[in-house]
Amino acid sequence: MTRPERSTSVLPGTATPVLEVDDLHVEFRTRSGVVSAVNGVSYSLSEGQTLAILGESGSGKSVSAQAIMGILDSPPAVITGGGIHFEGRDLLTMSPEEQRRVRGPGISMIFQDALSSLNPVYSVGFQIGEMFRAHRGMSKRDAKKQAIELMDRVRIPAAASRVDDYPHQFSGGMRQRVMIAMAIALDPRVLIADEPTTALDVTVQAQVMDLLKDLQRDTGMGLILITHDLGVVNEVADDVAVMYAGRIVERGTVDDVFGNPAHPYTDGLMSSVPQVEAKGGRLLPIVGQPPNLAAIPSGCPFHPRCSRRRLGDAAAPGRECATDVPPLRLVAPAREAACHYSEEVLGV
Amino acid sequence: MGRYVARRLLLTIPVLIGASFLIFALVYALPGDPIRALGGDRPLSPAVVAQLRDEFNLNDPLVIQYVKYVGDLLQGDLGTDFRGRPVSETIARVLPVTIRLALVAIAFEVLIGLVAGVLAGIRRNSFFDNLVLVSSTLVVSIPILVLAFVSQFLFGLKLGWFPIAGTQEGLYSYLLPGLVLASGSLAYVARLTRTSLAENLRADYVRTARAKGLPGHTVVIRHTLRNSLIPVITFIGADIGTLMGGAIVTESVFNLPGIGREVYNAVRAQEGAVVVGIVTLLVFFYIFFNLVVDVLYAVLDPRIRYD
Amino acid sequence: MTDQQQMDLRKDEVEAGTQTGLASPSVDVTSGRQNSLWSDAWGELRRNPLFWIGAVLGLVFTLMAVFPQLFARGAHPRSCDLANSRATPSAEHWFGFDQQGCDYLANVVYGARSSLIIGVTAVLVVLVLGVVVGAVAGYFGGFTDGLLSRLADIFYGLPLILGALVVLRSGVLGRGTFAVAIALAVFGWMTAMRLVRSQVIAVKSSDYVAAARAMGASSPRILVRHILPNAVAPVLVYATITIGVLIAAEATLTYLGVGLQRPAISWGLQIDAGQDLLRSAPHLVLFPSLVLTLTVMAFIMMGDALRDALDPRQRA
Repeated sequence: MTRPERSTSVLPGTATPVLEVDDLHVEFRTRSGVVSAVNGVSYSLSEGQTLAILGESGSGKSVSAQAIMGILDSPPAVITGGGIHFEGRDLLTMSPEEQRRVRGPGISMIFQDALSSLNPVYSVGFQIGEMFRAHRGMSKRDAKKQAIELMDRVRIPAAASRVDDYPHQFSGGMRQRVMIAMAIALDPRVLIADEPTTALDVTVQAQVMDLLKDLQRDTGMGLILITHDLGVVNEVADDVAVMYAGRIVERGTVDDVFGNPAHPYTDGLMSSVPQVEAKGGRLLPIVGQPPNLAAIPSGCPFHPRCSRRRLGDAAAPGRECATDVPPLRLVAPAREAACHYSEEVLGV
Repeated sequence: MGRYVARRLLLTIPVLIGASFLIFALVYALPGDPIRALGGDRPLSPAVVAQLRDEFNLNDPLVIQYVKYVGDLLQGDLGTDFRGRPVSETIARVLPVTIRLALVAIAFEVLIGLVAGVLAGIRRNSFFDNLVLVSSTLVVSIPILVLAFVSQFLFGLKLGWFPIAGTQEGLYSYLLPGLVLASGSLAYVARLTRTSLAENLRADYVRTARAKGLPGHTVVIRHTLRNSLIPVITFIGADIGTLMGGAIVTESVFNLPGIGREVYNAVRAQEGAVVVGIVTLLVFFYIFFNLVVDVLYAVLDPRIRYD
Repeated sequence: MTDQQQMDLRKDEVEAGTQTGLASPSVDVTSGRQNSLWSDAWGELRRNPLFWIGAVLGLVFTLMAVFPQLFARGAHPRSCDLANSRATPSAEHWFGFDQQGCDYLANVVYGARSSLIIGVTAVLVVLVLGVVVGAVAGYFGGFTDGLLSRLADIFYGLPLILGALVVLRSGVLGRGTFAVAIALAVFGWMTAMRLVRSQVIAVKSSDYVAAARAMGASSPRILVRHILPNAVAPVLVYATITIGVLIAAEATLTYLGVGLQRPAISWGLQIDAGQDLLRSAPHLVLFPSLVLTLTVMAFIMMGDALRDALDPRQRA
């Protein structure tokens, strides 16, 4: 599949970003202890760019997105450090009312499960129209007209006659289109899509992703695509950031990262999914369990599961996997990884 | 929807027949001879007894008596008590009292139960929330019998805030018994509202509403309360039927001339026709309000379709 | 993070794991799930103060019913002296005296026994009726289910107190402790039946029962091995609360004159006798009312705590 030309690099400083996340830390404070969900995540997004954030559940990818939206449940979630800059202004220092006005026209979000994410007792037209009524003060009737136009735009057939239907009367793919219509209603500069196709059939997945790409091309919005599906990343993203235990462990362009991973975790992910090219080859699962965020391993959080770890005397000075935390560092042109031995992984 | 309601109405017929036959059979088994008892100290002549027995079909077998009763019932005739007063007149006299009492109770459920539940649900784990939780457990645990006496003693006798019996002071007379009657349901409404609201506040669509940048009050009222109140409203609706049949103790303690006290007196006096008439009516109310609630459910929640 | 979020996370992990080949398929067997359910529930219960309050009250009440002399402070309920009639509480006689000049503490204490016997007997009968009728209706479905469910509807339409009142007045069950218990059970079995029925239907259509059937397990075996253990938790919660509710109902029926009769010692009789003296000797109504309320509260608190512990979704 051919992709539109890559607009910018994920690395900071190469283009004017519309959204910048800077050393974000999020904790969940519960009765049973503190869970460190996001531990110093930084990335930036430019207009028209698609950044994929890849990781298992519990890697902090959804939590960081909810922090950007300002919709974390607080308590128990607490943003303990860092900044989130949208068009140069720090969302975290804004008043709740200012933040609210960014949600929708500035940044908007679609979720994995459209059925549970739409309110079952209101018609889809009403729920789309709410965007115009809340942010533009439109009348109910005008908002409904706008909703029909949007439903047309996300290619829901017979929009005018379905505008008064309820979410449960739509198929999974159509429901996700309703979510998308709602999210793009006010031409946001950034759209965050949290596992937008995970709950859908494969054929419908492709249609929804195509729609998102088309809308992005038309509007020039930045797209953050949160997923654990390597195939989706490969098809639509420009850049990818791989998260593990609340940290970014590797990032770069999709071609670079997928072509030749620089982190053993990324490498493990690539070997654990079936690929057409490697038909007949063995699938190699990553051994061990995902990390417990209430007790993240010392040193490199991935080391208990890493086949390349070097412990004790086998490690280079200052690069002991169980004690020294590897920083996210430049390991090749326009590529970063948080591994003491990335060069080995890359095979350079 | 129309077909659903029709089918449900048809289904109520066997239930109504079953319930009224059950009570009819029990009343049939009531001990002693009510006709003789009617005479009191001066025994009635055997001829009069025989005539009365015949008039009330007391010589027929149980099933025949019941069939005759239903036949009269279908013509709107609920029969007469042993003193010759039509049962329908008795019901017409006592029903309004019980309806008033039930309405007052429902008002308390909404005013206190629902409001307390909403406030507790929004501020979970706050002092007020814990207060609602603990006090609802306490209230549910107090038997109505006890609550009736204690409140009659405290608010009626000691403090003199409310009349202790009767209906002489109009609506005001209904407040204390209404509150007593409502107490259990009121506590349940508070808990149900709280749980439902707390559950809905965690729902994905509330997260969506916030992500849409809707103002806080819109998120809470339109996207949380509206959904949370569906089970509460349906519970309150069904409770009307339950309250009407559950007022025996309250009406007896506060001496309200309603259905509960009437049926209690009728059971004691072995007035079979009155007992069967009132119980059948109560079962009908119970079924009717449950049906209303099911229809209401479909109106409030578009996911429910009965056809 | 909330339990809900934690659960979501766990579910996501399994899904994500299967996608990336990280997780081994989880093998869920009934006994394993049940064990963790009960040990989790116990951990939760231990930390719930309401459970302990209810358990202590329940224990005191049970001891009172079995060994009333331990609580009566040396007095006997039937050794009375009219000179003491309606005397108010004192240091010697905590609850004062009743109309006949009997020590009221002793009377109230000795009233626990009939309440406990009726409450427990009635609930046992409710459980037997509920489990049998519910299991049959849920398991066989179809016409059987329809018939039994309508039967439950009929009884639902009749208020508990009203139904029991008519049955007891009619005398078909006779009089006394067991008649009251049976009358309450006859008009109170329907909720247990619906609980068991819905559990049976839910479990019957679940994958692991289909698997058991595919492996050749016979119907009664499936019912006993898989379905009933799942119904135990909600039924246990219901039964605990219902003991309290039925004890209150017994007192009410006795107060209404169709329950226990003199010379039985019962809270309902004491409240009934005291009501005419509410103005002059309110303690005659208040003390049995208080003890009755605490008893009912004990079972409702234990049941509430049990439900919170057994149903994680209800947790705060």
